[in-house]
Amino acid sequence: MYERTRYPLREGLIEAHEKVWESIAEPGPFWTGTERVAMVLESRAATSCRLCAKRRQALSPYAVDGVHDNETDLDAVIVDMIHRIRSDPGRITRNMFDQVMAAGITPEHYIEIVSVVNSSVIIDTLHAALGLPLAEPPTPQPDAPTGQPPANVTDGGAWVPIAVGNERPGMINGLSNNREPNIARSMGLVPSAVQLFFTAFRPHYALQNIPLDLKQSQAEFIASRVSALNQCFY
Amino acid sequence: MLLRASGQSDQQDFDLNSVTDDHADSGVDFGHWLRSLTEATIQNRWDDLTTIRDQAGAAMGTQSMVDALVVASGFNGITRVADATGIPLDENTQQITIDMRVSTGIERFNYAEKSDRYDLVTT
Repeated sequence: MYERTRYPLREGLIEAHEKVWESIAEPGPFWTGTERVAMVLESRAATSCRLCAKRRQALSPYAVDGVHDNETDLDAVIVDMIHRIRSDPGRITRNMFDQVMAAGITPEHYIEIVSVVNSSVIIDTLHAALGLPLAEPPTPQPDAPTGQPPANVTDGGAWVPIAVGNERPGMINGLSNNREPNIARSMGLVPSAVQLFFTAFRPHYALQNIPLDLKQSQAEFIASRVSALNQCFY
Repeated sequence: MLLRASGQSDQQDFDLNSVTDDHADSGVDFGHWLRSLTEATIQNRWDDLTTIRDQAGAAMGTQSMVDALVVASGFNGITRVADATGIPLDENTQQITIDMRVSTGIERFNYAEKSDRYDLVTT
């Protein structure tokens, strides 16, 4: 991965992204490798989907019905969920989550999709930002979903139960209390989803002593600007 | 929000409105190029980004330019995790950022307000 770039990328980032790509192709706790790779393809399809483009132009994305330009045989409600996450994340509401649940998708299945899609968003975005063609999708590995033991979760005010969270001594940038930040707990319902996503994300940022050729304030400005552009409250 | 904490630790003043104001000067080093790189990346303006990469790399150094893209691409994923799970702000953060969220306009991104704004058409 990234073999053709002329820009200096850190080896740790490349290794992490390659590991994530391989992991996506393997069965997860609730979805097969084939389905997980299909989620990546569907996320990519959203960037040129005509229905998604119409919805982005509408005052409410929930006011425009239609059929997505989909690339896979994933269930329609999952295709819709993935396309909304990829194409218009700032206008996702509880309404979308409730529709997915009403279709019989469990919160655990939902979280695994969120993790796979957004791990691939990170990798695809960096490829495109560096002027590279997107990576070839990984080859799905056979076998059924692995299942998982019950996770240690709590109602933290999110749409899904979140990880209980570990106590951590000290403050983070003088802001956080001593519990893990909610974003790290948000996918705690599926521990392997947390592991997959943060394997992809970790080389991109740190709350302090950022291991990049940027000041912390520069990284925070970029992060804040992305949050604003994506209308992310968190 | 973490930008304010960075300002405290760097003993610099940053304009937090620059996060939501397209024209405000952040006060962050190479803020103009960081903004250009970030916006082109998140808005999928890949043709524009070809030129911006060259110019930003010449101004701030190639490694810093690449690392800016690294941060932007990472947050393009993690913001979607937050948006898809509806997680609330961490308790302490919520308490100490009330005024700032209002003054910068970030408060309008909270999930209850989004539901009021976007779900209304279909109900």
